Amino acid sequence: MIDRSQSRGPSDPVPAYYPGCSMDGLGKAYEVSCQLVLDRLGLAMDRIVDYNCCGATEVKNLSEEVSLTLPARNLSMARSMGRHEVIAACNGCVYSLTRANDADETTRSRINSHLEKGGAPAYDGEANVQHVLEFIHNRAGVPRVRAAVRRPLAGLKVAPYYGCLYSRPKRYTGVGVTPGTDNPEHPFFLDELLEACGATVMRDYLAKTICCGGGHALSDLDVSVAFSASVMNEAKRAGADLVATICPLGQINIENNLDRIRQAYGEETLVPVAYFTQLMALALGASMREARLKDNFSRPDRFLRERGFH
Amino acid sequence: MPIVEKSLVRVKRTEKLELDGIDVSGDWNTFLESRVQTDLDVGIVDWVRSQPQGDTIDRCWQCGTCTAGCCMHTDYGLEEFNPRYFIYLAQIGYEEELRRYAQTIWRCVSCNKCVERCPKGVKVEEVVHTIGTYLEASGRAPESPADRFDRAYTENLLDRGILDEAGLFRTYERLEGRKTPVRELLRMGTSLLLSGRLHTGPLAHRTKGWRRMRPVLKGLLDEDLRQRRESAQATRPVGRREP
Repeated sequence: MIDRSQSRGPSDPVPAYYPGCSMDGLGKAYEVSCQLVLDRLGLAMDRIVDYNCCGATEVKNLSEEVSLTLPARNLSMARSMGRHEVIAACNGCVYSLTRANDADETTRSRINSHLEKGGAPAYDGEANVQHVLEFIHNRAGVPRVRAAVRRPLAGLKVAPYYGCLYSRPKRYTGVGVTPGTDNPEHPFFLDELLEACGATVMRDYLAKTICCGGGHALSDLDVSVAFSASVMNEAKRAGADLVATICPLGQINIENNLDRIRQAYGEETLVPVAYFTQLMALALGASMREARLKDNFSRPDRFLRERGFH
Repeated sequence: MPIVEKSLVRVKRTEKLELDGIDVSGDWNTFLESRVQTDLDVGIVDWVRSQPQGDTIDRCWQCGTCTAGCCMHTDYGLEEFNPRYFIYLAQIGYEEELRRYAQTIWRCVSCNKCVERCPKGVKVEEVVHTIGTYLEASGRAPESPADRFDRAYTENLLDRGILDEAGLFRTYERLEGRKTPVRELLRMGTSLLLSGRLHTGPLAHRTKGWRRMRPVLKGLLDEDLRQRRESAQATRPVGRREP
């Protein structure tokens, strides 16, 4: 087992990429724009082909065994591809995959016997899971991003929204205790990347790490609408024109609540929301069409067109 | 010492009260009524500790850091959502008071700020979920909307290995007896379909080789659910006296 207080573990030239259920479906714009950004920064990831859903925070409430076997299967696939690094783009996936890494030896051997019965390779516990934001920040680095910018996001005021499970809890994600990771209470990786792209980043945005209520998007509508609204409301208060997200669950939950937010808090609360990779892709020279900005229900494309982007 | 039972702390209004010739009539805001507690059930904390996600409950020293940062308690403003108190009630085994919060405990949105901040390494979010599970699995509270959702989610996921979001939405609406207007569904659905983001029904993604994995996981799920139901129902308090 890797001692994660010392390092995240070995790295690969081309790490494995875990898409999870959103990236292939509702979060298509995120995946496409991610690819654009990585291409332009000279980075590459290798997709885990036969992945399965990670179970996010839901499955664990029913069964510990299933909630550990689901992510372990994905990590074992990555290991059988010969990779140590696994990159996920969804906060829920990062949580769930790192949670499986935290299992002790006894649990791991039990999980491995489940995997074996299901025809999957055993998992050795050696995968090093990261969010794609950390991957871009650490691997490309701010200077390289700055040098690759073709169309600076000058004049765009962006509120960086990290959401909940990107860095939390450190016990699972290692964020804040492992060298080279973000600060869990005051994250800044996204701030730095967007600033490198020329945007004005609202560094004092209060809702940076609040929950969007996405876990209860269907079962507790009041809560999910209230949290989605405060993500936007705080952005407005900080003076932002746009919210940048790093999680498909957050993006989808916030955008799914647009009508309800409008009804409950008024039209003036609404702020366009975009994946951070969509904004970075624009800065790195991609078009709005390529970055699929029209996909977003909050229509950041309309706003950006007014600002002269196309 | 923490206040054991919040329901005992209430504003007490006295119309006419004199102490040593001094008029002290009015509102008394922390008035503790005296009582004798006889029905505490240590079976609750034993059960929570025996569960894989509840084993850190004993580390809690009631500092309240979890509640101070809890987004349901502070941001959403649901004051009665108090993870420290839920853990306390479970620790002392005060079932009757715990049951009063059955309709509150499930509303935790799993943001994990409490787990991040706990100075004692309690996995608060998991412990609180385990306490909620105890109430439901032992038949002391009905299934909550969040648990219905988790069940629908898990069943949907285990079917093909990859979640069918639209299918999950339909199942959950049916479970809750809710109906989103067709026009609203069409508006979103069309846009998602046209941009290639909706993979549901015959278009749903599936994991290759899932046929072998599915029965294993379904078996594990059933076994875990059965075990926790049986063990939770067996925790009837020993030597319990009715007050």
